[in-house]
Amino acid sequence: MKLPGTLNQLPRDTRDTLFMLLVIGWVVAPMLSELPLWCGPLTGAVMLWRGTLAWRGQALPSRWWRLGLLLVAVAATLLSFRTLLGRDAGVTLVVVLLALKTLELRAQHDAYVVFFLSFFLMLTNFFYSQSLLTAAVMLIALWGLLTALVNAHLPVGRPPLWQSARTAGGMALLGAPIMLVLFLLFPRMAPLWGLPGDAMAGRSGLSSDMTVGNIASLALDDSVAMRINFSGPPPAQKDLYFRGPVLSNFDGVRWRPSEAAGVWRAAEADLQVQGPAVAYQVTLEPNQRPWLLTLDATPSAPELPQGRARMSAELQWQQDRQATALLRYQATSYPQFSYGKNQSPARLAPYLALPSGFNPRTLALAQTLRREAPAGEGANSHLVQAALERLRTGGFVYTLEPGLSGRDSADEFWFDRKAGFCEHFAAGFVILMRGAGVPARVVTGYQGGERNNVDGFWTVRQSDAHAWAEVWLPGQGWQRVDPTSMVAPMRTGSFARLEPQRGVLAQAILGNVNPRFALNLRASWDALNNRWNQWVLNYTQAKQLDLLKAIGFEAPSWEDLILLLCAIVVTVSLLGAGWSAWERQRQDPWLRLLAQARARLSRAGLPAPDNSTARELAEQLRAAQGGTSTEVQALMDWLLRLEALRYAPPNGHSSHKRQLTTLQHELRRLRWGV
Amino acid sequence: MTLTQRTVYILPTRAGWMLGATLLVLLLASINYQLNLGYLLTFLLAGCSLVAMHVSHANLRGITMSLIAPDPVFAGARALFDIQLLNPSQRTRPALALAIQGSQQWVLTDLAPLSQARVQLACLPGQRGLHPLPTVRAQTLFPLGSFCVWTLWRPASPLLVYPSPETQPPPLPDGASETGHGPTRTAPHHHGEPDSIRPYRRGDPLKNILWKQVAKTGALVSRDSVAAQQHDLWLSRPLTALSHPEQQLSRLCAWVLRADQLGLRYGLRLSGQDIGPDHGPQHLQRCLRALALA
Repeated sequence: MKLPGTLNQLPRDTRDTLFMLLVIGWVVAPMLSELPLWCGPLTGAVMLWRGTLAWRGQALPSRWWRLGLLLVAVAATLLSFRTLLGRDAGVTLVVVLLALKTLELRAQHDAYVVFFLSFFLMLTNFFYSQSLLTAAVMLIALWGLLTALVNAHLPVGRPPLWQSARTAGGMALLGAPIMLVLFLLFPRMAPLWGLPGDAMAGRSGLSSDMTVGNIASLALDDSVAMRINFSGPPPAQKDLYFRGPVLSNFDGVRWRPSEAAGVWRAAEADLQVQGPAVAYQVTLEPNQRPWLLTLDATPSAPELPQGRARMSAELQWQQDRQATALLRYQATSYPQFSYGKNQSPARLAPYLALPSGFNPRTLALAQTLRREAPAGEGANSHLVQAALERLRTGGFVYTLEPGLSGRDSADEFWFDRKAGFCEHFAAGFVILMRGAGVPARVVTGYQGGERNNVDGFWTVRQSDAHAWAEVWLPGQGWQRVDPTSMVAPMRTGSFARLEPQRGVLAQAILGNVNPRFALNLRASWDALNNRWNQWVLNYTQAKQLDLLKAIGFEAPSWEDLILLLCAIVVTVSLLGAGWSAWERQRQDPWLRLLAQARARLSRAGLPAPDNSTARELAEQLRAAQGGTSTEVQALMDWLLRLEALRYAPPNGHSSHKRQLTTLQHELRRLRWGV
Repeated sequence: MTLTQRTVYILPTRAGWMLGATLLVLLLASINYQLNLGYLLTFLLAGCSLVAMHVSHANLRGITMSLIAPDPVFAGARALFDIQLLNPSQRTRPALALAIQGSQQWVLTDLAPLSQARVQLACLPGQRGLHPLPTVRAQTLFPLGSFCVWTLWRPASPLLVYPSPETQPPPLPDGASETGHGPTRTAPHHHGEPDSIRPYRRGDPLKNILWKQVAKTGALVSRDSVAAQQHDLWLSRPLTALSHPEQQLSRLCAWVLRADQLGLRYGLRLSGQDIGPDHGPQHLQRCLRALALA
């Protein structure tokens, strides 16, 4: 059985239905991984059922089937989300509804419902991803939907699908300039009403607390966290510490930001910067978090497109909303800095607190270290060195799979497993330091990044997520200590990340490819994505106003945008009206010539009614003027040649055209003032 | 008639309004979720619908419609008339629908580039007489169904509707038996008078021609004999023996058809109009036309 042949033999109804199901599947498929587990199979089964019915030419199921399935879907949605409202619940329900609607595809009216639901679902795909890939997939989906729609309006015979596809593609191409103008000029507004709570769900990234083992999931996540464009030379790789949440409150299991972190007291940070500044632009992928990741240390607020940023006493920058969309900001940082030199013991007390009853062995070790340390100013710094020395020489191993920790995670780290990754190192180190009386805290964020050789942007991935420690030393203030670098210096020094093990499939595909080629490929793809982000996703109101500035508006506002948009609409409509007027008059060039001659003669006072012929006009000229002057003679000659062109035309299209052109030229040169 | 900007109208359909509502929903979602890709989708879709509006309009604009003059019909029968559609342009014009205004019985056709197509529409004219043809509506929903583009055309050519022939008419009146009843002049010269002479008419038998006369004057003359006239059948309203004028006409119509079928010579006398005895298709049409307009 040859499939193409069979497809061509299908009745038209069947073919159209199958095509439509295919397109709907294409629209819905990218979302299914984000929706509840039952949604995909249910949708797939319904559409497969519908496809089979179409293939066999059987009748559609009764209303009871649809009603029953609908009830099942609503119940399942309620079970999954505890609500029918909200983004994910709504999307789930619409997906199932669309599938069920195909079961009652009878009248044209039903088909429209399917089409318009599909358009809506295309948009909901963008809730989950706005990547270049998603855009490409949805562009194909749009093409498919338009093709099906056009096909539905070709009722005669059995037009081939490619014909509809061509029409749809042509329309999309012609619509693209309209899209471009609207996209560039349609004023960007703030959200009209609050986002539903689950708008922020399902994105990976740094979290606001840390249970040891958290970042491991991020280490395997290769997706981009942010992109950095340095204005000047970038700092050394080992200085690329992007500061995220500072975790200082430890309850034995979980690290949290200190309670005081909610209170923003930048003045208490006591920050002094020196040395050269590093200016850069960050394009932060949406992470549904308020944090603005900046390099240590950033004394002044990053420039945001809207809203404002505040700095906590722990040097962390945060904006007053969440990054629900791609966010770009400009920051200036100073790699050389000092802060918190003059902290009072009362302020440092929270950074010494430990829950009682946890990690007894670590605390004992801390006491031992404390006893061995010299007294006085240098004690704290000596303790830090001792702990780091212990990490360096104690046979500790950096691994992404250290196994699960028990209740006393620091004890297990220091004495039993002696293995882990940044979280284990940082948390274990901080607990040890606090036990020894050194104020210490955990800082999370990103470390490192890699330069894309294609476009020069630095890419920071989720796998660059990192945790390190800060200790307070008398006279020096807070100092960054990265315990991980004692064991795995390359983790922070160069960009040789600990590569997570590849899946079997990835190995099979990429295993045989030249690694350099694969790397280049990824760099190019990344650069392309970056362009996409910079140009399309990051097109904000600020950029719109920049565009207006470039056009020549001095102090553009969003009213100017509307003005420009209206101006373009008016211009285009006028052009359209002009064109249609031209097309209306684009009758016969010969008739137009004759009409022009009539008009000129009647202006000169000669009666030239609309039905007069060229010869009649010539006769009237002769009667009125006696045919004496050469000018009148020329006019008569012109009129007679005009007549001859029509009724005794020359052979050949080109000579006809030539003569017509000649007559047109002469019409302008002749003197019609009779 | 060539369809131009002036004669082609366009309005969004219900599906078009639905599409508009969908676009609004998409726009709101894009604003609220700050989806730049959503904006792109919304605007591309909006662009497509604008283009579709233009495509729709251009699909009908420029077509020339002309009527193939319809044949007369008998009342009560379906009148078929052909409309010729001419596509003078290089592009295909798919999904054209034609119907009598208000009938909803659409005839669909595609029009290939530089070609013409013929579409047959039917209407049911009510009574006999000369009727204007009903208004024709040509429309297209192509390509997205969001806009309906249509034109209304009232063809100038009239439709002639004959009376409906009586279904079971009585036999033809016998010309001879009607003699003396006044209205028919079947045998005006039956008192043995010499045959009157009249100019030759086609179909006169050769033996009736007065050859001597012809030789004298050079004009062909026939003997208007009783014998010759006895085949002539005059039909008129009183002969129908009906009182209702329309029924009279129906019966006359049936008789005319019958006479024609039998190949008789017949004449028709209606108030204000006499159609002399003759036969043949042209004569039949003349008579039927007279009946239609009586």
